[in-house]
Amino acid sequence: MLALLREGERYSFDLVRALGDAEGLVTSEGTLYPLLGRLRREGMVQSTWRESATGPPRRYYRITKDGDAALRAFASQWARFRESVDMLMELGATA
Amino acid sequence: MTEPALHPLADDYLRRLRRAGRRLPPDRLRDLLSEIEAYLSEAIPVGASDDEALEVLERLGPPGDIVEAELPAAQPPTDRRGLREWAAVILLPLGGFAFGVGWLIGLILLWSSRLWTTRDKLIGTLIIPGGLTTAPFALGALAGTSSETNCSGLATEINPSTGTVIRPGTMHCHPAGGGPSTATTVLQITLAVLFVLGPIASAVYLARRARNSSPSPATATL
Repeated sequence: MLALLREGERYSFDLVRALGDAEGLVTSEGTLYPLLGRLRREGMVQSTWRESATGPPRRYYRITKDGDAALRAFASQWARFRESVDMLMELGATA
Repeated sequence: MTEPALHPLADDYLRRLRRAGRRLPPDRLRDLLSEIEAYLSEAIPVGASDDEALEVLERLGPPGDIVEAELPAAQPPTDRRGLREWAAVILLPLGGFAFGVGWLIGLILLWSSRLWTTRDKLIGTLIIPGGLTTAPFALGALAGTSSETNCSGLATEINPSTGTVIRPGTMHCHPAGGGPSTATTVLQITLAVLFVLGPIASAVYLARRARNSSPSPATATL
């Protein structure tokens, strides 16, 4: 979710749909709203409601400095984790 | 502003979500409902068929699942403070009035509880030993040191056998140093405040620390 916001603000429906479309990540899109709420309360994202010309008001989210720092930390951990798993898989394949 | 009308199935979904979300704090439920309502307005266009609406609702998932996902964050940490912790919090400031034994019992309870860290226990022990009972003793001792008097002149002479005054005395006494100085008074007031507020603040601190010692909800990282 934070990664999707890195390039700029997005409104919640758009965010939730983008994650829902990613295969294997989410079983029900509705459960992403509590997650968004948690990220908001933890100061990782900020939100504002804005009127929309085409429909109901939209809640826009943008990443904060804390959110960006958390994302960078996660990206670094993830890279190490992925390398370790890849290495083990290769070892298993050659054994 | 007129709210756009929702598909009847979307309306029904919101009703079910409102019912399932009764376990949530009202502000959390309100927040969720407004987000989900915006989602439904966006995802189900006016005039959509029931099949189209159902497809969207399936993507959204059952209302109960959304409430369950919100629950871990909504539930306040379980308050694990028991009789031991409350007794310690009460006995540390007030137990000294029971011949000092109450404070010692409070101290034992404090150090035997797992809800406080060593730092908390040290604060509870050192601020202030004896609790509120220490204040009168400490202030009395301080007042004693500053109320020394100097006397001069002749003492009254009394006949030991009859008890009558032979010669009236001319002795005059006055406080040493010309009475308590302003600095001494300020020190006394400061200490009085510290000795009274210290044990109270320490007890409040311990009560709050014990409440917050419960494990915090897991942080979501997606």
